[in-house]
Amino acid sequence: MISNFLGSLGRYFLKKLTALGRSSMMMASAVFARPDFRRHSVLLVNEIYFIGVQSVIIILVSGLFIGMVLGLQGFNILKDFMATGSLGTLVALAIIRELGPVVAALLYAGRAGSALTAEIGQLKASEQISAMEMMAVDPLHRIIAPRFWAGVISLPILSILFAVVGIYGGKFVGVDWLGLDDGIFWSAMQNSVDLAEDVVPMLIKSVVFAVVCTWIALFNGYDCRPTSAGISSATTATVVQSSLAVLGLDFVLTALMF
Amino acid sequence: MKYLKAEILVGIFVLAGIIAAVVLSLKVAGLVLNTSSDVYTLHAKFDNIGSLKLRAPVKIGGVLVGRVSGIRLDEKTMTPVVDMEIDASCNKLSNESKASIQTAGIIGEQYISLTPGFYDEDLGSEYLKDGDYFQDTGSALVLEDLIGKFLYSAGSGDAKAEGAEAK
Amino acid sequence: MDSKQILAADSIVQIEDLSFSYSGKQIYSHLSVNFPRGKITAVLGPSGTGKTTVLRLIGAQLRPDSGTVKFDGADMHRLGRRELYRTRRKMSMLFQSGALFQDMTVFENTAFPLEVHTLLPKEIIRDIVLMKLEAVGMRGAASLYPSELSGGMARRAALARSIALDPELIMYDEPFVGQDPITKGVLVKLICDLNNALNLTSIVVTHDVREIMEVADYVVILAEGSVLGQGTPEEIRGSSDPRVVQFINGDFDGPYAFHLKGRGNYLEDL
Repeated sequence: MISNFLGSLGRYFLKKLTALGRSSMMMASAVFARPDFRRHSVLLVNEIYFIGVQSVIIILVSGLFIGMVLGLQGFNILKDFMATGSLGTLVALAIIRELGPVVAALLYAGRAGSALTAEIGQLKASEQISAMEMMAVDPLHRIIAPRFWAGVISLPILSILFAVVGIYGGKFVGVDWLGLDDGIFWSAMQNSVDLAEDVVPMLIKSVVFAVVCTWIALFNGYDCRPTSAGISSATTATVVQSSLAVLGLDFVLTALMF
Repeated sequence: MKYLKAEILVGIFVLAGIIAAVVLSLKVAGLVLNTSSDVYTLHAKFDNIGSLKLRAPVKIGGVLVGRVSGIRLDEKTMTPVVDMEIDASCNKLSNESKASIQTAGIIGEQYISLTPGFYDEDLGSEYLKDGDYFQDTGSALVLEDLIGKFLYSAGSGDAKAEGAEAK
Repeated sequence: MDSKQILAADSIVQIEDLSFSYSGKQIYSHLSVNFPRGKITAVLGPSGTGKTTVLRLIGAQLRPDSGTVKFDGADMHRLGRRELYRTRRKMSMLFQSGALFQDMTVFENTAFPLEVHTLLPKEIIRDIVLMKLEAVGMRGAASLYPSELSGGMARRAALARSIALDPELIMYDEPFVGQDPITKGVLVKLICDLNNALNLTSIVVTHDVREIMEVADYVVILAEGSVLGQGTPEEIRGSSDPRVVQFINGDFDGPYAFHLKGRGNYLEDL
């Protein structure tokens, strides 16, 4: 009974460990490959379009609404303390330090990460990856590497866009709707938000999230069972694992940086 | 040369990211680009700096004239020394001026308020130059100390009476 | 030519003492077989004996438990990643599904290996691609996407792609599955013509015995993880091994039982 439990635990752990090892090997050979700019820049642009540009709408709309909700809730709470002047600080710090990188990464995992997994799983299921290998084209260089770099470039940009739109959403509610003074809003923000202490850590966070989410998405696609059920469970795994990884890593990074 | 639609959109995407980053650093983080070039540094010794932080504002009558650039401890006298970068245009501070640490609102951030002293050449007063120290300083008011003092003074009447009886 | 003459000649692929198991199931044990250079070799065998696995082992997409696979003298499973990819340029494989890149046209699919592996200017690549497509009779479909092709056309387009780099070895994985008789005939003719015209070696995995026996120079029958019989088509036809005879003639009854071996008694199972 106990030995059964320990045995299954051990097998599960070893399975996860080998998966981690394989995914590290995959990423290492994809990332540290010598890039061929003449051929790969086209692939990279296409993937940034697919991963980044097509996620802009969802990022902007979510950012706007999250900023507006923050402005509304913050105003109502700060009003009780006669401290509505700090609304700018509240909105900007909440978005820049946490919500911007985290929510953008979660949306990215749902929008782009799942699509990446499904796409690569489909390529695998229809033997296109095998065909590429047999044509002596390394799929790690041709398929994995451009998608990885596109993700690492796109998510920080998306996070910044999210933050700016969110702050303007908060400003819209606080200033234009609830009648807070424009100058107080911005100056309170400018006095409390620091480039090196808030904005740079946000970028670090979003780069880390980009690496982790893209890695998870690509590996799940590359390693999935080449069947319909395999692709769908790999896609689910991507979203679940990315979300948990983002939230967990966010705590670690916050503890380290702030 | 003809570009693909995807390439143009990616270009717009990257450009939007850069613009957003600039907005974030200028408008939100309040980054001022013209730093360091035209400032001069003054120092002030305080007994207690409270919770003064780096980059805290330095103001004269509420007008921002500089920022705190360093906080350290003088090793000989064991008193805190604050370095301030003052805007070069604000160069008519006499050595009679006073630097004091004040608090914006009751629980707000702490900042340094400068009170310009009078200037009279006959009495030998000079303008403060780069590297000079403020002679007259006012330390931070620490709220806990104030409350402590208040409680002490409120209870002091009884305490004296008890002390007298004991004697 | 009989099998001794064929085997005496140079072999392009040599498999020696190969054992392979997949998720706990033994597929091959101590398999040794050679594939002669410049010939069409048919690999026959009942479904589920892992004929496709042989091709993937030759292409080093799968790693054997023991034994060696030599291609052109190079041990495929000892090569570093870079050498492996360099060696793979000399071989190509026609997948059962065709495995065309779905987001590219037939033309772009065929041009893909050329664009990746050569530095040829666009005009020359275009000419080569059109020549390859013409060779498989698909020049008229150059601008179509794979989703617009029938199964036979997709396989021909994939064939054009696999000969784009003029490989020394083409491996066909079940090229006739699910094709109508005319398409089968076209594919058989293409395999034969390409082999002779381009002076390459073909390995055809199939269980369409009749079609492939017409063009094959050499036949290998795999069953139960090892070689059941090999030789020229004539020798195979004249074989006295009842299992070979059953397979070639497609008999319902023989050494291979219709029923899979089950555990215990049928009646008890019910």
